Amino acid sequence: MSALEDTFATFIARQTGASDATVVSFDKLSGGAIQDNFGLTLDLEGGNRPGRHEFVVRQDAPSGVAESLTRPQEFRVLQAAFGAGVTAPEPLWLCEDPVVTGQVFYVMARAAGSASPRMLVKSEFTDEQRRALVRTFGAELARLHSVRPPDDSLDFLSMPNPDNPALSRVALYRRYLEEIGEPHPVLEWALNWLEDNAPELGPTVLCHCDFRTGNYMISGDRLTAILDWEFAAWSDPCEDLGWLCSRSWRFGADEREVGGIGDKQDLLDGYREVTGASISPARVNYWEVMALVRWAAIALQQARRHMSGEQRSLELALTGRMVAQMEYDLLNQIQELEDGNDQST
Amino acid sequence: MINRPETRDLLAEARQVLFDSLVPELGGERKYEALMIANAMGMAIREQEQKEAGEPESTDVMLSRFLAGHVLPEDPGQGEQTLARALRERVVDGGDRELREVLRAMTETRLKVNNPGYLK
Repeated sequence: MSALEDTFATFIARQTGASDATVVSFDKLSGGAIQDNFGLTLDLEGGNRPGRHEFVVRQDAPSGVAESLTRPQEFRVLQAAFGAGVTAPEPLWLCEDPVVTGQVFYVMARAAGSASPRMLVKSEFTDEQRRALVRTFGAELARLHSVRPPDDSLDFLSMPNPDNPALSRVALYRRYLEEIGEPHPVLEWALNWLEDNAPELGPTVLCHCDFRTGNYMISGDRLTAILDWEFAAWSDPCEDLGWLCSRSWRFGADEREVGGIGDKQDLLDGYREVTGASISPARVNYWEVMALVRWAAIALQQARRHMSGEQRSLELALTGRMVAQMEYDLLNQIQELEDGNDQST
Repeated sequence: MINRPETRDLLAEARQVLFDSLVPELGGERKYEALMIANAMGMAIREQEQKEAGEPESTDVMLSRFLAGHVLPEDPGQGEQTLARALRERVVDGGDRELREVLRAMTETRLKVNNPGYLK
């Protein structure tokens, strides 16, 4: 038994009051440059959770540079989402004492299934299964968006521009571009468009901000968990809907607007069934454009990490070369919206 | 100085060996890495071909012509820098048809190297 799995097992035994915790399996899970995720299956004896349990332990990687939420903040967001009825991994215990492993970590329940985008997009779902899945996505986001400020447990999340969260994002991405220090005329042009076409102020809600194909688990045709909550923020509900529908996250299945899985109208219908309120497709279109700019800015930051020598990586280098795709999509999508020919509305 | 076979030929052959002999032997993370290497080599080959065809220069000429007509180029050697700043400062109208053509040409020139399959 490695020291780390022993430490986690002992921590969980203490939390549950178990007299003994036997490690059945322990493995490092893929994904996450800032966090390490470990799968841990334990047989617990006694206490308030006797029997076999599958957990995920999430902690900062030793070299982690956190521009996103800290692990304790992420844990609190997960608690808020889970409490609102969102299909998220159940957050169990947070350990903020660095003496235990040297890093802050938390434990959550492990969800079944796969998050692999390529596998999911190639799945031979029936039309009915696709509709049901995409409606579920809408309903999940609607439940998440029922969490609204002020919320004392989420007081670390900053409030966006009170006049318009979209303009807060435009200012943020302009700052990112300045920091990157390379000229990107298409992104500057798109940011101007986003500033000029900002929708009227909507509600400010808790947004996941990275809910896309690849960041949720599917088992069979069922959603089992929405993952990766480190970018959660107060924002416009359509930020989440637009991100999920962005052309960047369809993984080759471009005709299926919602993450390469299904149709936007089903997503919006699923959302409406929970909230009772209709979302304007035009607002989602706007936030899809925002999503392309955001992903381009993030890709440029990732390439910068490679080029600066901070983290030499072929994957990061190639991500930088993907920016032309986002720029191409921006040129096409803005043109389509202006022409009123957008097929997705 | 003559140094043959040429770089492009070397890269193309190396990439072919990678695809034909190595990739089929690999799985999981190693296969993913091999495909990334092939992708990077493909870009290097296409970039060289594009340079030989003079395509980046013709896009630069298009950009310079636009800047000369719409913006006073303080630094003509840094065309994209000048255009990015002009857009940030709102000196150029975002709806200008010629601007759109320049932006599209620059993007497509890059995409032909980075991922030609993405062009519709």
